Amino acid sequence: MKPMLLIAFNFVREQRWPIFVLLLWVLLLAFLGLVADIPRMREDLLFLFKQVAVYVVAFSIFFGGSAIYNERKSRRILAVLSKAVRREQYLSGLVLGVTAACAIYCFALGLTGSWTLGAAGFPISRVWFLMVCLVAACMLAGTVALMFSTFLNPFLAAGATALMLGVPWIASQTVAARWAYVIPVSALTTTVLNSTFKVPGNTEWFPVCLAVLETAVFWVIAGKIFSRVDIAVAVE
Amino acid sequence: MTEMPAALEFESVSKEYRSVFSRQCLRALDGFDLRVEAGEIFGFLGPNGAGKSTAIHIAMGFMRPTSGQGHMLGRPFGDAWTRRHVGFLAENVALYHRRVDRLLCFYGALNRMGGTCLGERAREVLQMVGLQDQAKRNAGKFSRGMLQRAGLAQALMNDPKLLILDEPTSALDPLARVMVRELIRSAREAGKTIFLSSHLLSEVELICDRVAVLHRGKLVRLGRTADLLQSTEQTEIVTRGIALQDFAGAVTHDGVVSITVPISTQRGVMQRVWELGGEIISVNPVRRSLEQVFLEVTADSQPPQTDGRL
Repeated sequence: MKPMLLIAFNFVREQRWPIFVLLLWVLLLAFLGLVADIPRMREDLLFLFKQVAVYVVAFSIFFGGSAIYNERKSRRILAVLSKAVRREQYLSGLVLGVTAACAIYCFALGLTGSWTLGAAGFPISRVWFLMVCLVAACMLAGTVALMFSTFLNPFLAAGATALMLGVPWIASQTVAARWAYVIPVSALTTTVLNSTFKVPGNTEWFPVCLAVLETAVFWVIAGKIFSRVDIAVAVE
Repeated sequence: MTEMPAALEFESVSKEYRSVFSRQCLRALDGFDLRVEAGEIFGFLGPNGAGKSTAIHIAMGFMRPTSGQGHMLGRPFGDAWTRRHVGFLAENVALYHRRVDRLLCFYGALNRMGGTCLGERAREVLQMVGLQDQAKRNAGKFSRGMLQRAGLAQALMNDPKLLILDEPTSALDPLARVMVRELIRSAREAGKTIFLSSHLLSEVELICDRVAVLHRGKLVRLGRTADLLQSTEQTEIVTRGIALQDFAGAVTHDGVVSITVPISTQRGVMQRVWELGGEIISVNPVRRSLEQVFLEVTADSQPPQTDGRL
């Protein structure tokens, strides 16, 4: 547990600038909340909130897909894995780090959203549930990207992740809605995007639980693959 | 009586690098066998591309061998828990950009060190590598030599039983090299095993108990440093009371005449010295430098290819 937490904390620390840039979007929302004519622009604010919210899923793919590559390229991974750290622990540290980075964003967005949307007269009781949905989606998307990045370069890993997450969404649109739950990232982001805030709405925990469960499955698969990968970059 | 486990043991380890898109295959290690005993300073030599780093990376579990196996401190290669007792310094040190004392605590904590001893140990190892005044500085702002010292410090954090050092002195100034040499010696005196890969043959010659030379992925020479440096073919006869011109190739120094001859003719030369009324002071096997040994065993090495530009 300790190595996992240390690696996760270290990951967040290493990604502090991208996280800071992400938080600028939240600041933008807060700024609009301050200067805008809120009663007149309430629908625009809601639209902006939902858009800013789902960006984080894309960033989770970016974080997950590039984590191992960056560490291998800089050779910093050698100093970490030369310690009493199993590769599965290393990966779980990265999963936790990606989730924590996204959770920081979601927390900031939750605070800002509660304030701006509340001021616009929306019932905000669902904001934090939606943030939990987003964190779960990020955790799963980041883990899938991390799994692909164990054997692909970050761009291919991001592409493969987008494909893997996109196929269930396409199937849900063309075949049957339940396909969205195969890999529930699209189901969770759709929950956020379709929130009208006009009625309290259901807090459906099933896709959240499924995302947590699938994260564990993809982590196991990633661990199996990563344990067979030669991580030393220099090939003599 | 049970045999004491080796600190490091390679058993017929081979490693091939295969290209994904072509049929090219590079054999970096070829049936490599080696046993490093506990408590010794072991020098690991070889030209660039000989497979030294590959062997070290396999031992550390960074790579899997194509065939063969090995043990580190009695456990199979790649066992994470064993690495708790191992200190590793990579060839090109790469550390996170954070305060060096906190960085050391981070690496120590990854080895399950904790509590107040972590900070104390960090201060202690920073003192050992001469970075005590830089403890609060960000490692990202370090020069290469300082980074190498910090790398050595992180390898020493857990007070390891086995220290694996890949080119530990390559970026260091002469003073720091002496410091590292003394550090390695004191580690051996404390009962630790040191596996040292280096191109600095004079360093290896000075401190290593045993040496292995790797060439094209194969072990080409292994033995005690003193034995390797001792020539089996030539001997030096130090005499007094003879004229320099009596022997071809003789040299004089401080009033004594030294004659270097093949061992096969040694007896005849000594006889002649006595016949000429000379006195034999000593007969010594000729000592070679490690560089000579290294050049001998790696004689077929190709010089690095260049494209003609400087």
